[in-house]
Amino acid sequence: MNVVNNSEPIILDSQASHTDQRGKVDKKILSGYWLASPPLFFLVVFFLIPSVMLLVASFWTSKTFSMAPAATLSNYARALSASGFYDSLWIALQNGFWTALLSTVISAPVAYYIVYRTRSNAVLYLALVSWFSSYLVRVYAWRSILGTNGVINSTLLHLGLVDQPLEWLVFSKFAVVLTLVHIMLPFTLLLLVSGLRDIKKDYLEASADLGASGATTLWRVIMPMAHKSIVSSFMFTFVLAASDYVTPQLLGGRDAMTTGLVIANQFRSVGNWPLGAAMAYLLLLVFMLVYALLLGVLRAANLAPGKRYHD
Amino acid sequence: MIRLFTYLYMFFLYAPIAIIALFSFHASASLSFPFEGFSTQWYEALFHSSDFMTALTNSAIVAAGSAILTTLLGTFSALALMRMKGRIKAVFAFMNFAPIALPGLFLGIALVIFFSLIGLPRSLLTVIIGHTLFTFPFFVESVRSRLEYFDLSFEEAARDLGASPLKAFWLVTLPIIGPTIAGAAILAVALSMDEFLITVFVTGSDTTLPLMILSMMRRAVSPTINAASVFMLVVTIAIIVIAGLVMTLRRRRLELERAETAE
Repeated sequence: MNVVNNSEPIILDSQASHTDQRGKVDKKILSGYWLASPPLFFLVVFFLIPSVMLLVASFWTSKTFSMAPAATLSNYARALSASGFYDSLWIALQNGFWTALLSTVISAPVAYYIVYRTRSNAVLYLALVSWFSSYLVRVYAWRSILGTNGVINSTLLHLGLVDQPLEWLVFSKFAVVLTLVHIMLPFTLLLLVSGLRDIKKDYLEASADLGASGATTLWRVIMPMAHKSIVSSFMFTFVLAASDYVTPQLLGGRDAMTTGLVIANQFRSVGNWPLGAAMAYLLLLVFMLVYALLLGVLRAANLAPGKRYHD
Repeated sequence: MIRLFTYLYMFFLYAPIAIIALFSFHASASLSFPFEGFSTQWYEALFHSSDFMTALTNSAIVAAGSAILTTLLGTFSALALMRMKGRIKAVFAFMNFAPIALPGLFLGIALVIFFSLIGLPRSLLTVIIGHTLFTFPFFVESVRSRLEYFDLSFEEAARDLGASPLKAFWLVTLPIIGPTIAGAAILAVALSMDEFLITVFVTGSDTTLPLMILSMMRRAVSPTINAASVFMLVVTIAIIVIAGLVMTLRRRRLELERAETAE
């Protein structure tokens, strides 16, 4: 109640000042539009138009590494009728799911530590610096650690713990997910930390004062308020991991063809651009379905109540 | 408990990087223990390779080009966002962020089709455009939160005193937002140096540092790749540390100057 009473006069104040200087405010906003036009031009030309062209191209027909205008659904039909497409989608979704789940679960306690247990940002900055160590460098690192002649296998052999290198360490789903988790962790952490920052420590203390256990506070206080940032960090990690085409290529072995890799190959080696474009939009559609599904599941589990809890 | 977990988390993040750094100094070509002594031969081999020097030059050109373009466009965006309100501000902010809400793969293939249809041959220029699309949203995001607190009445005061809009920007706004802009610009350099998900598609025959590492990785595992990776890592981390220093030092100096003039 207190909060509401305090905030109302402020809202009235700001409205009053708006009407007072209407002329001035309008001029300021108008100059904002002028200033926005160069970046807007860039975004429209190099982002919006290419994205629309990609959609249009998915209805065209292919000539090797080029295209001919048409209005055909054959690319979609071809993608959806090939069993390889579903296999690749299944692998991509698994990669995305496990990576997002593990990254979120592992990063959550660290985010909690950063926000509520320590005042310094050292841990966060250190994690972010590792994020800037190239993605490719980290794929390479895991390849040289997990490889048949890699650090782990050679050490195990040297110590006599195994007779033969462990084959499943590299070129496997395990290797891909481990590497993707390593790549995504700092990113997931950043999103979770910025979400938790909005939840004041007072709420946690109030909950404890009222006799709630740590687990109750987590489920009934933190989760309902943090669910938005948890969902967004899960989804971002999911989309980036599921659409990745480099880690599966370098660490996934032969049967780890993800949709991202299939699409990339259409543009790099196969040369059927319209088919690749159609697959890309199908993949986007699947991502949206996953997002809707995730929200539905959370709502059913009562973990994502309406807006009233956090506004 | 939770502190220990955090330390383990940091160990997991840095151990693989430490291991490749260690083996980049290995005396033998093997990438496994037992460690057979230190040598800088892989770095010497790297710096004597003309492929590496070409890739490094290309990466530097692209990073400089996309950072300049990003800074120009991003500063316009930041100035615009300071003046906008409500729904229009939200829509414009979303548009600024949108390119990185989609995976790099989508941007890459969308640009390939676009460049091909408008007949622009793929070159370092198209790489610069691709990178700008990727670094621009990060630039705006990192500048935005700091500029939320910028008081536009400073600028208005300068205008009321007869300064032209350009002069008001140059003499009033820029000195205040400068450190933030500079820090974000250096961040753009670091992001561009590492980018390859889009680069793979939008480059013609030019290689960049990450592309060179990627093609080396396809061929074989060798400590030269470790050396190249560590080199790239050191460059990126140095750039980020410089960005951090620029942002904090400039702010400190401004605070000091303000304190002095107050006296």
